[in-house]
Formats: sequence, structure tokens, C-alpha cells
Amino acid sequence: MALKSAIRNLRNNPQLLFVRLPPLLSLICILVGVAWLLLLPLNEYSRHTYISENALLPGQVHAYFTGSEQNIFRGYKQELKVLLNEGGQSENGQDEAEFTPAISAKIQSILQVAGLKVATQKYEYTSAGITHQGENTYGIIHAPRGDATEAIVLVAAWKTADDELNLNGVTLALTLARYFKRWSLWSKDIIFLFTPDSKSGTQAWIDAYHDLHPASVHPLPLKSGALQGALVIEYPFEHRFRNLHIVYDGVNGQLPNLDLFNTAVAIAGGQMGIGANLQEMWEHDDSYEARLQTMLRGMTKQGLGYATGAHSSFMPYHIDAITLQPKGEGWEDEMALGRTIESLCRSLNNLLEHLHQSFFFYLLMQSNRFVSIGTYLPSAMLIAGNFTIMAIALWMRTGFHPDNRAEKSTNPKPTEKTVTPISKDASAPEISGHTIAERLLALPLTLVTGLHLLGLVPLWMFNTLPHQLFTTVTYVVVAVDIVFPLLLAALLRNGLGLFTPLVPQQYLLIKSFALLLLGLSLSTLATLNFSLSFMIGLLCAPLSFINRLQCTGVKRYAFSGLGLVLLNLLSPPTVLIGVCWYTGVSVETVLTQAAFGWDVWGMWTQVVVWCVWWPAWLIGCVLLGSSMF
Amino acid sequence: MAVDRRKVAVFGAAFVLRLLLVCLFPSLPDLLTGRVEVSTPVNSFKRLQEGLFLYIRNVSPYDGGVFHQAPLLLPLFALLPDVKSSPFPTAIFYFFVDLVNAHALISISESGQSVQTRLHSAMRKHIRWDGVSIAAWFLFNPFTIATCLARSTSVFTTTGVLYAVSNAVDGNSINAVLALGFASYLSLYPALLFIPLVLLCYDQQAQSSKAPNTVRFFVQHGAILLASVAGLLGLSYLVTGNFWEFMSATYGFHLLVPDLTPNVGLWWYFFIEMFDSFREFFLGVFWLHLASYVGGFTARLRRQPLFIITSLLGVFAIFKPYPSISDASLYFALLPLYRHLFPLMRYTFFAVSALLYSSLLGPAFYHLWIYAGSGNANFFYAITLVWSLGLSILLADSIFAALRDEWEQANPESQGQEVKQI
Repeated sequence: MALKSAIRNLRNNPQLLFVRLPPLLSLICILVGVAWLLLLPLNEYSRHTYISENALLPGQVHAYFTGSEQNIFRGYKQELKVLLNEGGQSENGQDEAEFTPAISAKIQSILQVAGLKVATQKYEYTSAGITHQGENTYGIIHAPRGDATEAIVLVAAWKTADDELNLNGVTLALTLARYFKRWSLWSKDIIFLFTPDSKSGTQAWIDAYHDLHPASVHPLPLKSGALQGALVIEYPFEHRFRNLHIVYDGVNGQLPNLDLFNTAVAIAGGQMGIGANLQEMWEHDDSYEARLQTMLRGMTKQGLGYATGAHSSFMPYHIDAITLQPKGEGWEDEMALGRTIESLCRSLNNLLEHLHQSFFFYLLMQSNRFVSIGTYLPSAMLIAGNFTIMAIALWMRTGFHPDNRAEKSTNPKPTEKTVTPISKDASAPEISGHTIAERLLALPLTLVTGLHLLGLVPLWMFNTLPHQLFTTVTYVVVAVDIVFPLLLAALLRNGLGLFTPLVPQQYLLIKSFALLLLGLSLSTLATLNFSLSFMIGLLCAPLSFINRLQCTGVKRYAFSGLGLVLLNLLSPPTVLIGVCWYTGVSVETVLTQAAFGWDVWGMWTQVVVWCVWWPAWLIGCVLLGSSMF
Repeated sequence: MAVDRRKVAVFGAAFVLRLLLVCLFPSLPDLLTGRVEVSTPVNSFKRLQEGLFLYIRNVSPYDGGVFHQAPLLLPLFALLPDVKSSPFPTAIFYFFVDLVNAHALISISESGQSVQTRLHSAMRKHIRWDGVSIAAWFLFNPFTIATCLARSTSVFTTTGVLYAVSNAVDGNSINAVLALGFASYLSLYPALLFIPLVLLCYDQQAQSSKAPNTVRFFVQHGAILLASVAGLLGLSYLVTGNFWEFMSATYGFHLLVPDLTPNVGLWWYFFIEMFDSFREFFLGVFWLHLASYVGGFTARLRRQPLFIITSLLGVFAIFKPYPSISDASLYFALLPLYRHLFPLMRYTFFAVSALLYSSLLGPAFYHLWIYAGSGNANFFYAITLVWSLGLSILLADSIFAALRDEWEQANPESQGQEVKQI
């Protein structure tokens, strides 16, 4: 009964229901969303990883890649080294294009002698005024027990993801090619792909493999069946290693099936006795902090959506891929890495169908602990939901006549509107006894749509301008972000004869629509890229609580000025500059990389930044700025 | 003349916007043509191309079971140049069809039939948009633009329906029924609009002169409808040469729903999951359910025949076997005619939010299911449910508002009071 009367009281008190309660609810949503994320590393909320696909049988076979194969490895390495030195190049910092002629011919001849079918592919990409070109070489082992309908890919790039010369990795791949060719147990084709770099080579190859390549990329003369998985080999140093670092993030935050990662960890740890690391956490002591840090690093990479290695390009085609990077000083040699890869290939070879059993959406916090989407998604959804709650509340609020509230409110709440009878509509007299007000929708709708479309301008600029201009343009955008909202606010306040100045209801409607769109986009985004949605949601969180200030005189100017300064610190370009300053990377590098991602990898993080975050932020600034005029 | 200038401006802007979209994003039309939300097996432009290819080479267009549209579209599109080499003539043809539809909407709006019928006069007549604004709502609706760019053949059905209504409100009952015959010939379901349409014609005639004999009026118009459809079928026979083949490939396809490609409707998932032995039964149930709204609406909303048509179009957009966003766009085109009911509607914001959510989440979940492989069919189906829910809320809410309007007219003293369930 008490509950019933409480609900009745709430219904009879729109002031409480639509003005006081929603900000509180929104705040609770945000706090719970963040707290939820922080709880995930605890044992109660995360789970042990397990192999879901029984066909994988990781580590159940003996790996024979030892002994005499090491001599072959040394021989190949010597041959390649001679060619590298002949080119008159230092071991580091060669131009990608210079690898091609002699070395590509060498690789082709080695593969051909080993009995593989070999082909090459030239490609060229231009992004932000920089041309990236090169030639991929690849060979195919046709499965003795298969019908060429399925294949596994082994990739060795001449340059690793960190731009180091990957001589040992390439040699290892060549040795493995010769070694695998002599086995009769393969039921899937095995493709050995050698690319000049880790950024564009695999992308060109995989695009062409699916006939979706742009005109500047040559088609593939030789193909095999549907790709079931891909492994990237890196070994960019001469000493022995201790741990295996597994990189798994794909473009736009897509992840490979968890089974692939688990198999790699199980084989490295269980069969070979090599420890597995992830997310550059070299010292993981299984504490809460270490788990949280691992998870946050993973989320950052996922949220930014860039390719973290040669494997990332495979993900958009639903091909599960990981990069194996040996790290640290230890006693494991290249043969141990070779055996790990052999065992992994044997596991993939066992697959009866595409990896699908295990999770595609997960956050890893250790090599053997993860949380799945059902557990972590609510945190981003709660944050996205807070905007929707505010949008609905604001909409409801605009439906009531202000006079109805004026008599009820004696408290000096800053958001209170006590002025201007709303309707110039003829409807007003007829239903004036009634508390329902007619909403003036046209201008708010146009403004919100227009500002969202305006986001296309910076999006276009940052993806097409030459890279030398990026730093300048960023600062220009910062300046525009300071001035433009104030100009717009002044324009809306005065109308300039183009339209009648805005009434308070319309400001609420503008905010309502902006927040509705933001909540809408972020909750959609949470299903595609959880981390990006979470990050943008947090950065936009203040927008829920920003209103036109209604206090008087100096106080109003002081508060709105302060608010604008704080908001400007959270604008997309300022955040970019701040993060670049914190991490020590130049703005130009980041933006060049982003433009490259847009042009080559099909990365769409920028769309979210400029067409979701920026317009919402802009509208927040306009609302706050309008209290100045 | 001022109104005319506005009309020219709106039409010109709509045309230029479409042209700009096609010029700036040349891949957009093909992308939209491939989307399941826009193209269904019965209106897909891609399938029409397939049929056209066969037709031009003198093979029966229905061979291969891909093409399921009316045969008379083929000679029409055979006149247009090849889409692959010169896409613009076809695109511009579609732009004009949209403008023609908007023109029909303007004349429907200007008749004032939505606020003032023979038997009913709305309480809030003065709250309404003029024809040009309603045309602008239609022309700048993203769903209409997407349909137009995707070159879906439902736009011709839309033309038929809108012209049927616009002729009916102008009192040209024969033309109205002929237009309805054209629409029914193209996609079958508009035939269900026959009764409310004739009611509309009847009311118009009764208002202008004297009330004609009801039974005779119905029979007469029914005969005209049958004759027009029969004429079109006869022409189709001349085009294809095999009567039963095209009948079963087009109308049989509509009725029996053999192709369960995902779309925004509710049928495909249901029929995928169903055991085959129940299929016939549930086909009957689903069609009966769809058709039953005609009787219910006609009886309850007899005083506002145009509103019956609008609501039925909403019902079709939800419960048709192969609905697409073009059906929703037709419903959204007619709904602004009832601007005077909006103050009485209670859940507009929720319905619109649900529709917005589903139109963003739908493509995202479809992507997760089909391309990323990390989702499954339930993801997309869940969103089609939300979409249908949004449309249903809007529909139910608008009907509530119409009934409330009628009730307020009957009880002027209780105007503006809270509704209470007794």
C-alpha cells in the first residue's frame, strides 16, 4: 500500500518526477556503470578460460620441428642476410619498396624448391599524402587430405608491428613451409604469406583474396579455399626469448574467437612450457590491479579500433587471427616458436567447422581469465542509458505548461524556467485549462540534425588533408570549438530576424533530441565496439547535466564561463591533444595513422568522434553558452 | 502563387537532395538495393534486373525463381537504358515518381478530408499542416529517400494507393478504383483497401449530390476493380505468354510466402522456425489476421474513411508477409494528415524512440549476424520485433486519438478530462 501511495504521489508531482529525479537517476546510472566495470576483474565476476571447441585438441600431438630443421633455418637465414647486406642497407630502417626485387625472388625460389605454388601481388595505397607500396609474396601448400576448400594462413611480415626487421620470423616461416610440405596429414591448405610491412601488406592481400580490393591493389593470381584462421609470426631479434606475447585486437575492436587465443595459451604454456603474456603486461602478478590494467589496456586498443598487427586485417572478414611475439630474455629459441606454431596449425587443421563455439565479445584480464559480453555489456549500456533517461525526462517536461510548475516551485533551482508563456499557437486558448503544452519542434529538430551533419566537415578534413597540415588543423578546430558555440548561442538568442528567438522550451527540446541521439548511437555502438562506446559515454557524461543557467547577474556569467572552459577541456580535439601530450606521441602521427586506418583498414572510429561525440558536445556548449546572452 | 512557389521549392529541394546523394555517393544506390530492410523479394530492384535480363533475351522472366514482380514492369523498364552503364535515367525516373506521389499527397491534404468528413468533423481542425509541409515530410523522410535511391518497385504501389485516395477525395470514384486496381495488380495487398476506399467515394458523392444506392454503388465499383485488374492481367498475359506461370510466381508468391529471406516483418522468422506440417494452417491464420483489420476498422471508424485507409496502411507495414521500410514510409506519409490528433496521442515520443533505436540497431545487428559472424539471427529478429512494436504503438496511439476525438465530439462537456477506465 505504501508503495502504491508513493507512486501516486510521484505521479501527482511532475516537478519531482521530471525535474529532480532524472538527473539523480542519470548520475546513478553513470556511477553504477563505472563501478560495474571496476568489479569485473574480481574472481566472482570473471571466469576461467576454457576450450569450447573440442575438435581443437590443443597440445595433444607431438611436435617434430627440431634437430635438422634448425640447420635448414640457419641456411635460409644466411641466404637472406647476404641479400639484405648486398642491398647496401643497414639492418634497420630500410625502405619497404627496396625489399622487393632480389629478396622477393629469393623467397619465391625457396618456396618453389620446397614444392609450393608461388605467386606475388603488388599494391599501392595513398593516404594523407603518403604513398605506401610493396609486393606480397605467398605460397600455398595444397592439402594432401583436403579438397582445397579451406585454408590456414601463416604470415611473416618483413617489418613487425613495431617496425623492426623480422628476419628470424621470415626465415622461420620459410623453414616451416619446407617442413609442412613434407607432412601428409594436412586436411586444410596452408598459405605462407610474406608481406613487406605489418600495416598495409596483409590488408591488400586479404582484400584481394575476397575480390574486394581497390584499383591500386593487384588481384591475386592464385587462391585457395575459405580461410579458417591466421597466425602471424614475429621474431625481430637474435637472442633467445622467454615469453610469448599474444596480440589479438582487430580493426574496429573486433576480436578473434576466444578459442584461438585459448589454444595458443594452452599450447605455449601446457605443451611447450612458454609463458603467455597479453597487452604488454610483462609482469602480471594476478592481482586486482594487474588484471584491471590488462583489461583497461585491452579496452583502449579496442576502443581506438586501430590495427595492432598484421593479424588485424583478417578480422573484418571473419577470419580469426593472432600475432605471436617472442619477448624477453630466456632460453627458448626459434625452434620452440616453430614447434608452437606447428602445434597450433595441427589444432586448426583438426577443425571441422569455422571457429564459432567460443566467445567473440570478451575482455581478457589475464592469459586465463576473461569476462564475456553478458557480464560487461550492462556497464556501457547503463552509461548510454543515462542519456536516454534525461532525454525522456526533458521531453516529458516540455509537455507541461511552465505556469503549472511556476506555482509549485519556490526553490531557486537553476534549471527552473519561469518565464514566457509558450504558445503562440491558436491551440493555447482551447486547452488552456489543461496542463498539456504544444511543443515547438521545427527549430530544435533542424538545429540538431544540422549540427550532426556539420560533423562531416571535420571528418572529411581529417581524412583527406595532407599529413603536414594535421597539427595546424587540430589547433584551428580547438579555436573554432571555443568561438562557434558562443556565436551560435548568440544567434539563437537574438534570432537576427531570421527566426523568432528561442523560448526556454525549445532549449529543453534541443537538449532532449541531442541526448536522445547520443544515447541511441552509444547503445548501438556498445554492441559493435563496447570500449569505444564506454569511453565516449564517459567523456560525454557531463552533457547530461548541462543546462541553460537561470541565476542572475555576475553569478550567471561566472558559472557559464567556468562551465564553458571545463567543457572545452573535454572537446574532442582538446582530448586528443591532451592524450598525445600525456603519451608523448605527436598529434600528427596519431592523425596520420587515423587517416591511414580510414583509407586502408576501413576503421570508423573517426565517424563516431565527429558525427556522434562532437555534435553532442557542441550542443552542450551552445546550451551553456546561451545563458551568457 | 506564394503557395505554389513553396511547392516548387520543396519539390526542387527534394529532387536536388536525391541527385546530390547519387552524385556524391555513387555506391549508395547499390548498397541500399542490397539491404534487406529496403529490398524484399517482391520489390527488389536487383531481382527486377534479373527478370529484365531474361525478358530482353526472350526467356520467361520467372525462370530461375528469382523474379516475383508484376510482368508489366518489364516492358516499362526495358524502355530505360541499361542501369549498369547509365544509372542516371533510372534514378531520375524514380525521383519523379516520388515527386508524383508527393503531388498526390498535397491534393489529399488540400481536400481537408482528414479533418472534415461527411459524418465527422474534428475538434481541433485549426491544428493542421498544409499540403506542402506534408509533402515535405514525405519527401525528406529518410525512409522515403532510402526507398527511392534503392529503386524499390514498391514506389509504384505507393503511387497507386496515393492516387486512389487522392481521386477518391476529389470525387473521381472511377479513377480512384482504377488506381487501386493498378496498385493491387502490382502487389496484391492494396485490394484490402477496397472497402474503405469505396466508403470514401460514397461519402464524397453523398456529400456533393445525393446519396446513391449503397449496394449498387459497391457492386458497380467492385466490378470496375475486377475489370481493371482483369485488364492488367490480360496485358500481362500478352507480355509473358504463360498465364499460370506468372500468376503463381507473383501472387502465389505473395500468398504462400516461400522465400524466407530476412526482412523487417514478423513472418520470416516464424515460418523458419515452424514445423512444415503447420505451415498451411499458420499461413491461413496470418493472412486472416491481416485481413481481419479491414472489417474491424471499417465498422469502428466508419465516420472517417480516410483514417481507416491510413491505419490499414500502418497495419500492412507491420503484418505484411514482405514488408520493407517503404511501407512504413507510406504510412508516415499519410499520418501527418492527422496532425490535429497529435495533441491527443500519448506515446509518440516512445514510439518514435523505438523506431529510431531499431533503425540504428537493425543494421548493426544484421552486420553482426551476417558479416562479423559474432551474432546470430535472433539479434536481427529481436530488432524487427522492436520495429514492429514501435509501429504498433504509433498505430494504436493514433487510433486511440481518433476515437477520443470522436468521443469528445459526442460529449463536448467532458473535453480535456483525463481518461479513466471504468
